[in-house]
Amino acid sequence: MRDQITKYTGKLLADRSASADGIAFAAQDDTLITAGAPELAALAGNTLSRLNSLALVAARPSLPFADFLIARAGQGEECIVPQDTETRTFLHDIPFLRRQDLVDDPAPVLAKLLGNRKGVIVEGVGIVAVGAITVEQAFINYSSVFHSTFVKYLQDVLADGFRLPGEREAFDSFRREWLRPLTAAGLDFIGALSLEKEEILAEIERVGRYTVERGLVDSFFGNISATAGELIYISQTAASLDELKGCIDPVPADNSSTTGITASSELLAHRKVYEQTGARVILHGHPKFSVVMSMLCDRKRECAIKDCWKDCPHVRNLGGTPVVAGEIGAGGLAKRVPPVIGASGTAIVYGHGVFTLGREGFGEAFAAMVDVENFCREEYFRQVDRIKA
Amino acid sequence: MFGWTGKLLHVDLTRGTCERREIPIDILHAYLGGRGLGVRLMRDYFRLGPFDPDLPLIFAVGPLCGTNSPTAARLACVSRSPLTGTIYDCSAGGRFAWRLKAAGLDALFITGKSQQPVFLSIQGERAELHPAQSLWGKGVKETVAALKEHGSVTTIGPAGENGVLFANIMMGEGNSIGRGGLGAVMGAKGLKAITVQGDGVTGVADKDRFDAARGDVMRLFRASPVIFGELGIAEYGTPALVDLMAQRRMAPTENFRSTFFAESGNYSGPAIRKECGAKKEGCYGCPIQCKKASAAGEPLPEYETVNHFGALNGISDLHAIVKANSLCNELGLDTISAAATLSAFGEARGRFPDAAEVASLLADIAYRHDQGELLSLGSRRVAELLGKPELSMSVKSLELPAYDPRGAYGMALAYVTSNRGGCHLRAYPISHEILRKPVPTDRFSFSGKARIIKIAEDVNAAVDSLVACKFAFFGATLEEYGELLSAVTGVEYGPESLKAIGERIYLTERFYNCENGFSRSHDTLPQRFFEEAGSAGEGIDVPPIDRARFDEELQKYYRIRGLDVEGGFAGRNLLAELP
Repeated sequence: MRDQITKYTGKLLADRSASADGIAFAAQDDTLITAGAPELAALAGNTLSRLNSLALVAARPSLPFADFLIARAGQGEECIVPQDTETRTFLHDIPFLRRQDLVDDPAPVLAKLLGNRKGVIVEGVGIVAVGAITVEQAFINYSSVFHSTFVKYLQDVLADGFRLPGEREAFDSFRREWLRPLTAAGLDFIGALSLEKEEILAEIERVGRYTVERGLVDSFFGNISATAGELIYISQTAASLDELKGCIDPVPADNSSTTGITASSELLAHRKVYEQTGARVILHGHPKFSVVMSMLCDRKRECAIKDCWKDCPHVRNLGGTPVVAGEIGAGGLAKRVPPVIGASGTAIVYGHGVFTLGREGFGEAFAAMVDVENFCREEYFRQVDRIKA
Repeated sequence: MFGWTGKLLHVDLTRGTCERREIPIDILHAYLGGRGLGVRLMRDYFRLGPFDPDLPLIFAVGPLCGTNSPTAARLACVSRSPLTGTIYDCSAGGRFAWRLKAAGLDALFITGKSQQPVFLSIQGERAELHPAQSLWGKGVKETVAALKEHGSVTTIGPAGENGVLFANIMMGEGNSIGRGGLGAVMGAKGLKAITVQGDGVTGVADKDRFDAARGDVMRLFRASPVIFGELGIAEYGTPALVDLMAQRRMAPTENFRSTFFAESGNYSGPAIRKECGAKKEGCYGCPIQCKKASAAGEPLPEYETVNHFGALNGISDLHAIVKANSLCNELGLDTISAAATLSAFGEARGRFPDAAEVASLLADIAYRHDQGELLSLGSRRVAELLGKPELSMSVKSLELPAYDPRGAYGMALAYVTSNRGGCHLRAYPISHEILRKPVPTDRFSFSGKARIIKIAEDVNAAVDSLVACKFAFFGATLEEYGELLSAVTGVEYGPESLKAIGERIYLTERFYNCENGFSRSHDTLPQRFFEEAGSAGEGIDVPPIDRARFDEELQKYYRIRGLDVEGGFAGRNLLAELP
C-alpha cells in the first residue's frame, strides 16, 4: 500500500492537480497507515478510520476553483452540481463543508459526508476523496472532483463573471501561470501503423502516455483504439491512459469472442466510427476546455429540451468540429458520433469529451485533439475577455 | 409505511395453520429484508438441524421489491443447509417475489412438517394449505403447469422430495433457489410448492427522488461494458464469461486438475447464440434481461453450468450441456454441485462421465437410484466415502463454482470466508479482479485483499437484503441504491449505513456458524490449489497458491473482522449486541 501511496502522490504532482506540499493519503489493511503532509495526513487517517473503505486522499488543489465554488454558492446550499458527464454519471453531486462549519476535529462530519459520496470539498482545506477498495480508486475520485470543479468554475465564470474579492486575480494567474501551451510538437509517432500486433500495442501505449504527459487529459479520462484487419485493439474499461501496458483488448470485428467484455464502454462507438469512416485509429479524451465549451449553447433560453446532454438532436459547431449529445456506453453517443466525425476527423460530445481520428496513425489524431482543445481554450478566453470588456 | 408491508405469514405445517404477524419496524430498518431479514428471523432457530421440523424455511423480499427499482424484484430464501450445515441463503428472481410483495408480505416463515404432501396457496390476504399428493413425484414443469392458475409458482422437483443434499427450489419462470440444498429442506417439510398472487402496490415515499435515482442507475448500466456493452451479459448472458475465463487461464477443467479447456469455445456466449438461437429473458421488470432462452423458450445454461458440465467433466458438446441444464431444472437439482459432484466422482473412479452418462446419472441422483444414492450426498461426502477426500473441490462442503482460485487470489480468500461455503457471490471479487469494476485489482496478489473482501462481503450482504441483483453492481453502486432505498422508504440510507447493515448480517451468520462448530479449520481450500499449478498459456503463469501468504491474509481478515485467531468470537455474545 505504501508503494501505491507513493505512486499516486507522484501522479497528483505530475498532473499538477494538487499542491506539492498539500498531499496526504491514508490506507487501511489490518492496520491504518498515513503518509504525506502532516495535518492532512491526520485528517485523512481520522476520517478513513471511521469508514468501511480502504483508502482516502486529502489534498489541496493546485487551483482555488473548488473554494471559489463554495464561496459563490448560495446560503443553505450544501453541494455543487457540475453538469459535465463525469459528474453526472459517477459523482452526481459534490458535497462541501464551509470553513465556518469546521470544528476542532472535522473527521466525523467528513466521514459522514463521505459515507454517501466519493468525494467532498472542505473549504480552505482541499478535496477529500475515498477509495472503497483501492488507493488508485481514491486517486481517481480526487481526479474526478478536481476535473468537475475545474469545469464548473470555468462555466460559472463565463455565465456570471467574477463575484469575489481576489477572484479575478486568481483567474488571471491560472491563465498566465498554471496553464501551459498545448502542443503536439516534438512527439514521436509512427506515420503509418502496420497490422503488426506488437507495434499497434506499443503505439496505443505511447499515445496514451503522451495525452497525459502533455496535459491534454487526466489519467482516467478517455480511451484509445486501432483497427487491424478483423480486430479492434481498444483500451480496457477503467484503464489509465498513461499505463495501458497489458490493458488493451483485441476484439474480433464479428463478435465471435466475448473476451472484449472488459473493453472500454465506448467499444460500440469506436466500432461504428471505423465502419463509417475507414479510419485506422481513434483517440478519445476529456480535455477540459472542450468539455466546458461543449455545454455552451446559445439556444438554451428558447429551447424546450431539458436534458441537453442526451436529448439534443442538433449538431453544433466549435471551430469546424461538430458537437453532438449522447450518453456514454450504450447511451446514444455511439449513434450520434459516427455520422458526424468523418468529415472533419473530430467530434465533441456534450459535456463529455473529444473524439479524433487518424487515417494512418496516431500522429494525426493527437494533433487533431490538441487543435480542438486549443481552439476551445482560445474561444473560452475570447468570450471571457468579451465579458470583462 | 413505505417500502415494507411490515407483515410476515407464519405457516405451521405441523398444525396446518397460516397466520399473518407483524414484523417490528426497527427490525426492518436494521436488516432491510431478503437475506438480512431472513438471517435475523433465524436467531431463535439456528441451532436446529436442517431436517428438524421446527427449522424455519424463510422467503423474504426487500423494500425495493414491487417498485420500479432496477433488478429488485427478487427474494432471498433462508434456512440451514443440509449440504453444508451452515446458515444458508440464496437470492432468486422471477415473478414470485414481486407477487409475494403484492400479497402484502415482506416474508414467509414456514415451520413444521406436514404428514401428507401439501402446497401453500396465497391469494392476497388469504393463505391456505392444499393436498398435493397428486403432485408428489412430479417434475418441475408439470407441477408449475398444474398450479399456474393460482399465480406465480415455486416448487421442488423429485430431488427435493427425495432429500438430495443439493436439491433446489425452482421458480416457475426457470429461476432457482440454488446451491445449498434448500429444496431438500422444503421436501422434508412435505411442502411441494407455493403459489402466490396479489394486487397490492408498494408505496414510494418520494417519487421525484426515486425517478432521479433510477435515472442515475440506468445511466451507470449504460456506461458498463459488462452490463450493456455489446459483448456484455445483456447480450450473451453470463456465458459471456466463457471466453474471458479461458483467456485468463482460470476455467476449472477436469475437477480443477487444470484451468484451460481447449474446446470451451463450443459453449461460449456467441456459440450458444448461434447454436441455440438464444433470445433475451430475465427477471420481472429487470432492464438487463441476462437470462437466455432457446427459440423454443427453454432456459439456457449460465456460465457456471456450461463450464462445469463442460470443462470440469471434459465434455465439449453444447447440446449435451444444455440437456444437462434442462434436466437439473426439471428434477430440481443444483447444476454447479451436480456437475462438480460428478467430476469428483469421475476423477475418483478414473473416468469422467461422458455426455450420455451425465443424463442418466442426474436422474439417478434425483431419485437416489443406484450410484445416485451416493452421488446425492454431494462431492465432499462422495469423496470421503470413496476414500479420496482430497478430490472434493469444495469449501465447507459447497462445491466451488467456475472461477479457479489459483487465477484470482481475492477469489481464493472469498471462497473460504463465505458464510455459506465455496461461493463466488459473497464477496464477488471477479468484479474487480477480472471485470475491472469498479476499478481493477491485481488478481495474482493478496495485497489489500483481506480488507477488500471484508468490504465486499458487507456490501453484498446489503445488496442481498435490498434484494437487488449483484449484476447491477457492475455499473451502479450503493450510492445510487441508497438513494433508491431512501426515496422508497422515506428513511435515509447511504453507502456507509448500508455497509454497516451488511456487516451486521455477515457477522450474525458467522456467529451462527461458529456456534454450530465452524472455525478456522473450515476456512480453507482443497489441498490441490496449494500444491498443483493451473494451466499456463498466453504469457500467463498459474502457479499453486502460496499457503503461507494465504494464511497470513486470512489472519488479517480475521483481525479486520474483529475475530480471534481461530476466526471465532472469543466468547463474545454477538447477538446480545445487535437489534
